[in-house]
Amino acid sequence: MNKLIHLFSLEWLKFKNNSVFILFGSMFLLTFPLAIFVGKEIKNLPPPLPNNSIFYEFPTNWEWLAYEGSWLVCFFLAFIVMNMITSEVSHKTLRQNIITGLTRKDFFLAKLISVFALCIAATLFYVIVALLIGFFHNDPYSLDGAFSDKLWVLRYFLMCLGYLSFAFMIGFIIRSPGISIFFYISYTFLIEPALKWVVHYKIFSNSSINYWPMNAVEDLTPMPLMKYTENLPRQDLDFSFLLEPNHAIVAVTIYSALFIGLAYWHFMSKDI
Amino acid sequence: MPVLSIKGLSKSYGKINALQNMNLDIEAGNIYGLLGPNGSGKTTTLGIILGILKADEGSYEWFDGQYGEYHRKKIGAILETPNFYPYKNALDNLRIISHIKGIKQDNYDELLDLVNLSHRKMSAFRTYSLGMKQRLAIAATMIGEPEVVIFDEPTNGLDPQGIAEVRSTLTKIADSGKTVILASHILDEVEKICTHVAIIKNGAMLATGPVGSILSDDVFIELKAENMEHLNRMLSKLDWVNNISNVRGMIHAEMDPSHAISEVNKLAFENHITLTHMVARKQRLEEEFLQITK
Repeated sequence: MNKLIHLFSLEWLKFKNNSVFILFGSMFLLTFPLAIFVGKEIKNLPPPLPNNSIFYEFPTNWEWLAYEGSWLVCFFLAFIVMNMITSEVSHKTLRQNIITGLTRKDFFLAKLISVFALCIAATLFYVIVALLIGFFHNDPYSLDGAFSDKLWVLRYFLMCLGYLSFAFMIGFIIRSPGISIFFYISYTFLIEPALKWVVHYKIFSNSSINYWPMNAVEDLTPMPLMKYTENLPRQDLDFSFLLEPNHAIVAVTIYSALFIGLAYWHFMSKDI
Repeated sequence: MPVLSIKGLSKSYGKINALQNMNLDIEAGNIYGLLGPNGSGKTTTLGIILGILKADEGSYEWFDGQYGEYHRKKIGAILETPNFYPYKNALDNLRIISHIKGIKQDNYDELLDLVNLSHRKMSAFRTYSLGMKQRLAIAATMIGEPEVVIFDEPTNGLDPQGIAEVRSTLTKIADSGKTVILASHILDEVEKICTHVAIIKNGAMLATGPVGSILSDDVFIELKAENMEHLNRMLSKLDWVNNISNVRGMIHAEMDPSHAISEVNKLAFENHITLTHMVARKQRLEEEFLQITK
């Protein structure tokens, strides 16, 4: 335990005044509680949504905030994670850390702890913001209805872990700051959707296409409107294009472990 | 007990053999010069023994294995370039090093004085000149009283003043009784500072031992006379003159240092040979080096 604290405080020492960390971190902290209030501008929601208080009242604020948070985590926090790893390669401080006496395992562990710390911090922030917004939206102020679906906290945490462990693996394997971010974005938004809809769907036209890693992560905290589309008359799809939450939880847990394992194996076996 | 023992290290990058069956033992207290032309495998060797490169074959052991996998905490080293967090100042960068080594260091000012950086200790590393970066790296190697310090081309890219400053710091460190490994392609540097030398080329060890044994004591002489044939005959009779050769109308030879060049002049005079040119100088590492790596 002492060792973990030692490694975590080393990371803190390194990055507490890093501009990427401060910039993206503060943007995340500011945007997350504020962006949900864009909903105030939406006066007329399509049926079956009643009115814009669904964004703020328990329990639906959990899912809207989680959906919003998934975008911010996918960008801001993932960039922080990739920067945390690739900047050490480009500044050659990774080499110097090892030369100075850190073992490779320690270096890896320090980064991994930081990723978990980010996931836990982001999840706590999500819980606090959701509780505060819900609390002040109830009349009179109360936490009534806040805890009807506790699974959201776990889903949010795993969403963070899914995105960040993927960014973590890319950082360790690609190592170049620019190319890492480029690959991360193009994989998530281009390559995987293309593989999924063009290749996979042509061969197996069933719900197995939902098990692609980034899709599984997305489906942990999906766009809340998606669940209504399930009731619409189906056109060409005869299966749901959302993963069951429980399946998504299992899939993302396995994927995260895989990403972390691959990063570890690659980092331990290569020259640095 | 050797501080470092290297056995049969080999490494290749694709088809290029960077290192072939390298063996080396370094004893405590030695100032070891690792000498070789650019691309000879010096940095590859250091990279492997510092844990950042993986050897294809062979092994190495630090301190007889007594510190386990944390042996590098007892070593201060710079490899190729000074590597620090560019957005942090000198003091914070040194603090990170202490943190990794797990020591409570409070003599940063003393260290920064040693390398002449105290006046800039609060500026970010990226604002430093190359010489300042190099000097900060040297200060960093001293953190935690390491038993061994390793420098890789410490004067590379510095201006003459920077070179002089770095060398005087290195001499101070070498005099403090630490084991030092200094990789360099600058012979003069090695000759001035080191007690031992290992010469490598194309990834193979060509020669190793105390500087004195690699560096022969023989005096190099250059002679010219009106009658070269006589001179040649006379010299070949002397058992303290070796390796006689004719180069561009001059005689080059090596002379045992127990004799003086004046003896040659005197003998020539007695043999009725008039010398028109006579130079004697100490054989330098540079010539040895060029000869060995030929």
